[in-house]
Amino acid sequence: MKILYSWLKDFIDLDFTPEELAQQFTKLGIEVASLEKKGADFEGVNVAQIIQIDNHPDSDHLHLVTLDLGGGKTQRVVCGAPNVAVGQKVPLARVGARLGKVVLTPAKIRGVVSEGMICSSDELGLTNTRARGILVLDEKIPLGTDVRSLYGKSDALFDLEITSNRPDLLSHYGVARELGVLLNKPVKLPAIKEMKGQGPSLKVEVKDSAACPRYSGRMICGVKNAESPELIKERLSAMGLNPKNALIDVTNYVMFELGQPMHAFDRNLIDGDTIVVRRAVKDEKFTLLDERELTLDENALLIGDSQKATALAGIMGGKNSGIADNTTDIFLESAYFDAPTINKTSKKYGVSSDSSQRFERGADIGMTLTALHRASELLVAACGGTPSEIVDVYPVAFENPVVSFTPAQINGILGTQIEEEKLKDIFGRLALKFTAGADTWAFQAPTHRRDLNHRWDLAEEAARFAGFDQIPAGTSRAFVSFTDNPKGVDLMERCAEKLCALGFYECKNIDFLGEKELKAFGFDPKNTVKIKNAMAQGWDYLRPTLLPALLKNIEFNQRHGQNNTALFETTRTFSLTKGFPTETYTVAGVLCGTLPAQPFFAPNGQKPDFYFIKGAVADLLDGFEAVQLIPSEKAPVYMHPKICMDIVIAGKKAGVLGALHPLTLRTAGLKTNEVWAFELALKPLEKLFNAQLFTPAKAVAAFPPSLRDLSVVLDKTISYAQIKTVLEKTALPVHLHFDLIDVYEGEHVPQGKKSVTFTLAFSAPERTLKDKETEDAFNTLVGQLKEKLGAELR
Amino acid sequence: MTIQEFKTVCSTLEQEYIAKISAAADLNALEELRVAALGRKGALTELLKNLKDFSIEDKKVAGPLGNALKAALTAALDDKTTALSAAQLNEELNRVQIDLTLPARPTAQGKRHPLSIAQKRMTDILSKLGFTWAEGPWVEDEKHNFDMLNIPLHHPARDAQDTFFAQTGSPLSMVLRTHTSNVQSRFMEKHQPPIRIMAPGRVFRNDSLDATHSPVFHQIEGLYIDKNVSMADLKRDLTAFMKGLLGDKTEIRFRPSFFPFTEPSAEVDVKCVFCAGKGCNVCKGTGWIEMLGSGVVHPNVLKNCGIDPEKYSGYAFGMGVERLAMMMMNIKDIRTFYENDLRVLNQF
Repeated sequence: MKILYSWLKDFIDLDFTPEELAQQFTKLGIEVASLEKKGADFEGVNVAQIIQIDNHPDSDHLHLVTLDLGGGKTQRVVCGAPNVAVGQKVPLARVGARLGKVVLTPAKIRGVVSEGMICSSDELGLTNTRARGILVLDEKIPLGTDVRSLYGKSDALFDLEITSNRPDLLSHYGVARELGVLLNKPVKLPAIKEMKGQGPSLKVEVKDSAACPRYSGRMICGVKNAESPELIKERLSAMGLNPKNALIDVTNYVMFELGQPMHAFDRNLIDGDTIVVRRAVKDEKFTLLDERELTLDENALLIGDSQKATALAGIMGGKNSGIADNTTDIFLESAYFDAPTINKTSKKYGVSSDSSQRFERGADIGMTLTALHRASELLVAACGGTPSEIVDVYPVAFENPVVSFTPAQINGILGTQIEEEKLKDIFGRLALKFTAGADTWAFQAPTHRRDLNHRWDLAEEAARFAGFDQIPAGTSRAFVSFTDNPKGVDLMERCAEKLCALGFYECKNIDFLGEKELKAFGFDPKNTVKIKNAMAQGWDYLRPTLLPALLKNIEFNQRHGQNNTALFETTRTFSLTKGFPTETYTVAGVLCGTLPAQPFFAPNGQKPDFYFIKGAVADLLDGFEAVQLIPSEKAPVYMHPKICMDIVIAGKKAGVLGALHPLTLRTAGLKTNEVWAFELALKPLEKLFNAQLFTPAKAVAAFPPSLRDLSVVLDKTISYAQIKTVLEKTALPVHLHFDLIDVYEGEHVPQGKKSVTFTLAFSAPERTLKDKETEDAFNTLVGQLKEKLGAELR
Repeated sequence: MTIQEFKTVCSTLEQEYIAKISAAADLNALEELRVAALGRKGALTELLKNLKDFSIEDKKVAGPLGNALKAALTAALDDKTTALSAAQLNEELNRVQIDLTLPARPTAQGKRHPLSIAQKRMTDILSKLGFTWAEGPWVEDEKHNFDMLNIPLHHPARDAQDTFFAQTGSPLSMVLRTHTSNVQSRFMEKHQPPIRIMAPGRVFRNDSLDATHSPVFHQIEGLYIDKNVSMADLKRDLTAFMKGLLGDKTEIRFRPSFFPFTEPSAEVDVKCVFCAGKGCNVCKGTGWIEMLGSGVVHPNVLKNCGIDPEKYSGYAFGMGVERLAMMMMNIKDIRTFYENDLRVLNQF
């Protein structure tokens, strides 16, 4: 809401500077978005013309400028502006002139005395930003003219951010009223000359009094539309409106002044003699003033006559009844419409106006007649004409509820100790009716404060007007209980810490993706949460996978010269389960290029392979039982068909790891064709995770193991997993630990075969093994490997 | 040889060899001395050969004397050996030359995202202040995101939130939560006071993506409900929170404001940490920085969640994570957080 300082002063005496007033607003909780000072705050500055420019004897950028002051007088001053030129008419401030709070005195500039200065626009206070040179005036302005007369008197324009609970502050009178309570100063309405009406008005029939609790109006006949008076034009311009003509301008002026939206109809475009306030019929067509055509439903509230609709109530007038330059008779509407009704219609049809913005927040039902009188007065003064009698349909007089409370309750909410006298004083100033009984107090708000319904609302008012700095920091109180973090949160944190330790960098991405990416990653749009009002194409769905965004991050970094990227993200992913949204804590990582980049120590880095990403996943899952990594029978479309494993938790697939499909990478615009990746849903781990669990230590072997190397040659197609199973499953009378140390294929083994080498460690818990025991165990294993896998000792 | 002569030779030998051992220049010289003194043909062996000619009484005197001399010389030789090998080792070590000023070998550590770092700072402090972590859905029904929080349908406060609507099979109208406050309604619906929770997480607004706006951003919410909780409790806890976050000298102030779910509502400013309140670019000369929104939980919200506002009261606050991170980490553009540029990520 734009507030003009001079307009405020119509209602209340204020002697603050604009900056001081801004501080008062802040104190009240009204944010000042901007403060723009207007007009001339200077004296003794006159128009002069530059007739000669000489160089300053001691400077290469300063000039000695001679000016014609008119009446045969000249003056020489020092000037450093880059844009100075002979012939310009400029504002000249001579010694004794006042610029803001500064009075000009002679100044010695590099040895030359200057008895005045040519001013820039910011030196005159006309702009807030620094001007680049002197202000050059129109050459037609006569010499000697007082520059003040060109810019009008000083003023200030505040742009206030009015919160949606305070529609009463959407007018100058409303803001003055608020300041009046704060400063304990009287606030007066403009002296309105109430004109007695002559002759009957149009009749008004309100068919829905819930949507329109009050409708006031009158006709003014015999007007001659004209230009508005200067003051109205100036003030409306300051509000950001283009003045049109008096009939329209006055309704706007009264709205900015008193907060009451008004509408003027051309009486002669109204059929019959009754204004009807009604709901639209289904599919009723209506054309707005701005020529937009609407098809309405039964919720829209209309103003109409016997034949047609003439206005979308409280929002905008119709094209068929608007004011024209030749309008002679008008009907002036000053009504109160129900806030949700207006909000619903305004939002549904995307039509908003200064009027609808006030009604949807809640106008003042007690203001309609005052505004009608004010508008009548201003209109008749500008356009002549005769007002009719007033019609005022107001079946149930509105009253705010009476709030009963005790001063102790107010102080209890705030944690303050504001004295009762002070509270009485504040509530007395605010209330329509206020009584302070011995036990309870009773407060009733005036009609313009519908937001004061509970003692909590009154507590806020008490704090605002007493000052929020009255609220102390309370003394300590203890409330101790223990609730663990949600498991998913702890799991995500655990994953993040582990992945960082492995060299991965954490990313955060926006949760949206498009149908193309969705399909490329094998997801069915039908099972994905779609955003109805997506802000951009490609951002239509909530992502069911974190991988597409991580690929974008690789692509971004490749474009910016970072080819080695190890990235991860852990957050929620989304899907639909039987139509209902499901959110799953997920972690995903991608690895591209070498790891880590070490320009001096390892210029080529270390090239990670599949087993690195497998190690990362194993590390994430370390400590969890019931977790398996199994080669995928059928890899998802975005993964390499042969380099992909399922992460299986408690028998169910919870994720994948492996190489991304080169086509996936190409589609994502990557320069590489090898990216290692994993993605894992954390939900299955939640059941297995216990933040309170300490891991019990196992006893360390007290006796040294007997070590043997085992090298076997077997078919290339036999997997490590198969060999491992044999080693693990073979029953031995001693304990066995084994480490794989080599897998070899090549000239030293037959074609189609490979050699696999282990270090075996045999041990017993309570003694050192005899050679024979070790030998027997070794031979048992060799026998089993031969029997189960056809392995030969190498 | 008389026993007297034996004693004299013992004493002379001891003096002579102790002096020689002490003066030995290296381990080789020392070994020669060991042979000369204690070897098979050494001075001590030679001396002890005289023992066989002594009487029993003299032997009782001379025997221990000879042993003592042997022990003394052995000890002196051992000490000197230790000292000389240490000296020799140190000499070798002192010949080592490596360039200690070469760069440190980078470890393979990755880094947390700046928003995670900022959020963790906040949750760690709130956790110390007794707030437990609560979560709520990001795809939320309008009832929990708006209605229960006193943001009625067809009210401009609801329009102001630029809501994303989700298409699901739920009979309820679903939105992407516009604030973390949905955790308030979710939690209070299920728990009676005392309640002291924090709710960090992502929120969504249908805002354009530019230097200061993002359709996805992070908030952290605090909620405390108990008997007789007031604005003064809020001020105490927020003062503690801000001191934890920004340092022990941090001051806060309340400014009146409006949020549908609190009454009274207060905007909370902290005294500018960059200029100590003197006025600078960050605080735009005001000396204060707007930090978060807060207030006493609106009685309607308590009622909607099944908590009796006549019996209990509470406070709530909500704070932007990006806002804090941008200010404290000198990040000028909110998009920086979502680009994941390694040149940025590896700075934190």
